[in-house]
Amino acid sequence: MSVEPIIRDALIFGCLLSLLSIGLTLTYLITKVPNFSHGSIATIGTYVTLSSGEILGASPYAFIPLAFLLGAVTSLILYYSAIKPLIRRGAGLVSLMVATIAFELALIAALNMYADYVTKTFKIASRDFILRKYDFQILGEPGVFVTSPAIAVLLVVLLHIFLTKTKFGVAMRAAIEDQALAGVLGINIRRVYVVSWFLSGGLAGLAGAMLGLWFQADPGYGSRVLVSIFAASVVGGLLNIYGAILGGLLVGLSEILGTNWLGMAFGTWILPYKPVIPLIAMVVTLLFAPKGITGVKWRSLRFRWKA
Amino acid sequence: MVDVSLILLFVIDLVAVFAAYLIVTVSLNLEFGYTGIPNFGKVLPFAAGAFAAGSFPGRLLAELSGLPRGIEAYASNEILATCVREFAFRKPQVLTYLNYVEDNVVVTTCLTKLLQSSPLLSISVLLLTLLVAAAVGATLGYVSSYPAIRLREDYLAMTLLAMAELVSVVGYNYPEIVGGTLGVSLPDPYAWVGGERRFLLATVALAVMALITFFYMERVSLSPFGRVMKAVRDGELASEALGKDVVRLRQKVLIIASALAGIGGALWAFYLGGVISTGYDRVTWTFWPWVMVIIGGAANNLGVVLGTGIFVTSRKLIDFYKFALEPYLPFSVVWVDRLALGILLIFMLIVRPEGILAEKPRTAMKKEKILSIMRRAKTKP
Repeated sequence: MSVEPIIRDALIFGCLLSLLSIGLTLTYLITKVPNFSHGSIATIGTYVTLSSGEILGASPYAFIPLAFLLGAVTSLILYYSAIKPLIRRGAGLVSLMVATIAFELALIAALNMYADYVTKTFKIASRDFILRKYDFQILGEPGVFVTSPAIAVLLVVLLHIFLTKTKFGVAMRAAIEDQALAGVLGINIRRVYVVSWFLSGGLAGLAGAMLGLWFQADPGYGSRVLVSIFAASVVGGLLNIYGAILGGLLVGLSEILGTNWLGMAFGTWILPYKPVIPLIAMVVTLLFAPKGITGVKWRSLRFRWKA
Repeated sequence: MVDVSLILLFVIDLVAVFAAYLIVTVSLNLEFGYTGIPNFGKVLPFAAGAFAAGSFPGRLLAELSGLPRGIEAYASNEILATCVREFAFRKPQVLTYLNYVEDNVVVTTCLTKLLQSSPLLSISVLLLTLLVAAAVGATLGYVSSYPAIRLREDYLAMTLLAMAELVSVVGYNYPEIVGGTLGVSLPDPYAWVGGERRFLLATVALAVMALITFFYMERVSLSPFGRVMKAVRDGELASEALGKDVVRLRQKVLIIASALAGIGGALWAFYLGGVISTGYDRVTWTFWPWVMVIIGGAANNLGVVLGTGIFVTSRKLIDFYKFALEPYLPFSVVWVDRLALGILLIFMLIVRPEGILAEKPRTAMKKEKILSIMRRAKTKP
C-alpha cells in the first residue's frame, strides 16, 4: 500500500517547518528579535546534503550532524558579529532586524558562491536540484517520509526534557520569563543567549538538510521558506516552543494540502499561488488572535458560548 | 564623438537610477527614519506602481481607440489602422482581435505611434497613470500593514515582508497583469520628443519627481505632523498618553510614502519602457534602499540623498568594472558584491548607526525669524 504523494509532501514539510519554527521562536523568546536569516541558515543544511550526496557519494544521513553543526556555527557567527555588539550598544529592535537581514544578504551570497564553485569544480548541478535518489527506502516509502517525523518527534521530546528536567533548561526558561530577575539569581544570561542561538541554528541546519532530501532547492530556497516560518511562528504565537510546533504543523500541512485541495476544486492555475496560504494564516492570526493559537483562552471562549 | 555620447548615456542612466532610488529611499526615510516603521516590504508599492504602469495605460488607450474590437472600430484613425495593417502581413488575425498581453508588441508599437503624434495625449496619459499608480501604492501600503499596524514593530516587519513576497508571486504567475514570465512593454509617453531624446525626457521626469519628493519630505518633516512622527518614534507610549493616535499616524505615513513609491515605480517602468515581474525583488528594491538610508543617515533627508548617491555610483562603477575580475574567480562577481554589502551594513550598524550625516535637531523656521517673534512677544505689554 502506498501513501498518497501529497500526504507525503505535507507531512515532511509540516514536520520540518515545525523544527524551523521552534528555532525561530527560541531566539525570539530570548533576544526578542525575529531572525530574518533563519531560512537561509537552513539552506546551509540543504547544501551539506547536496555535497555529501553528489560529491562524496555518501548517505546524506551520515552528514546530518555536520549540517546541524554548520547551522549552529553560522547562527553563532550572527550572534557574536551582530546581535551581541548591537545589544551592548543599546540598539533598537529595528536595527537588530536590519542586522539579521544584512546577514541573510551575505549568507545568500556565500551560498551562491559555494553553488558556483561546486558547479565549476565538480561539474554537478547546484541549482534547482532534487536529491531524492540519495535517500533510502522503507517498505517502498522514501526514508525521509519516516525519518523527518521521527526526528521531529525525537527532538521535540529531547527539547522538552532539556527545558523541564535539566538545571540549565530550567534556568533558560527563567531567563526567558524575566532576564533581569534571572540574572540577579545568578543565572548566566549570556550563556542562555549563546545556547539558544546555537540550538536555533542547529535545528535550522538539520531541517534544511532533510528538506533537501525531498524538495527541489536552490540558494534562495530558505529565503522563500522564511515566509512560511514566520507564518508558522506567528500562528504559534511566538510565545512558547509548543506553540511553534503546533504552528509549524498547521501551516506546513495547510500550505501543501490546502493548495492541492484548492487546485482540485478550482483548477491547476491556482497551484503557483502556494505562498499565499501561509500569508493568509498569518494575517488571520494577527487579526483575530495576535497572541497565536496558544495565546487564545479556549476555556473562556467555550464559557462564552454556553452563556 | 562616439565616446561623448557614450559618456552622456552613462550619465543619463546614472541620474535616472539615482532619481528612482531617491524616491524610494526618501519615502522609506519618512517611514523608518522619522516614524520608526520597519518597512521591509518597500518593494511592494514600488512594484505595484510599475505594474500599474504596465497594465493600465496600454489597456485604457487600446480600449478607447477600439483596438480589441477589430479594424472597423478604428479604421478612421489613420495612424493606428496603417500600423496594425503592417503587422497583419505576418499575423492576419490582429485585424479582428487584439489582446493586450498576447499581442503586446502590436498594441504597444501602434499606441506609441499614436502617442508620438500627440504630446498632449502623451502627457495626460502619463499624469493619469501616475495618479493610478499613487492610488494603487497607497491602497497597498494601507492594506499590507493593516493586520499588524497595532502590534509591535517586529510583527509589522514580518507582515510587510511577507506581503511584499505576495506581489511578486502574483505578478509572476498571473500574466493578465504584466505578462507574467515574459513581461510587457509599455506605450511610450515620451516618444513625441523623438528618438534617443526620450531617455533624456524620462530621466528628467524621474529627476523632477525625486526633487518634488525630497522637498515635500523636507516640509513634512519640519511640520507639526513631522514632530508627532518623531515623538511616536522616540516615545510611543508618551505620545499616546498625550492624545496622539499612533495607529492612525503610522497608517498615514505608510499611505503617503507608498503613494510616492508607487509613482516612482511607474516612472521607472516608463523609463525602462517595459515591466517584468522578476525585476522587482526583495534585494534590489527593499534591501538596497535600506542600505542607502542607513549608510547615509536615517531621519536626515540630505544624508539619505548622500547615501543613495554613494550607493548608486559605486554600484554603477562595480557593474562597469566587474568583468575585469570575473576570470580570476570561481564564482560570479555579483555574489562578492552582495557579500560585501551585507557585511558593510552590519559594520555600519555597529560602528556608526546614525549614518554619515546624523540626525540633527532642526527648527521649523529660520533662527532669526523665531528670535524676532520672541522679541516682538517680549516688547508687547
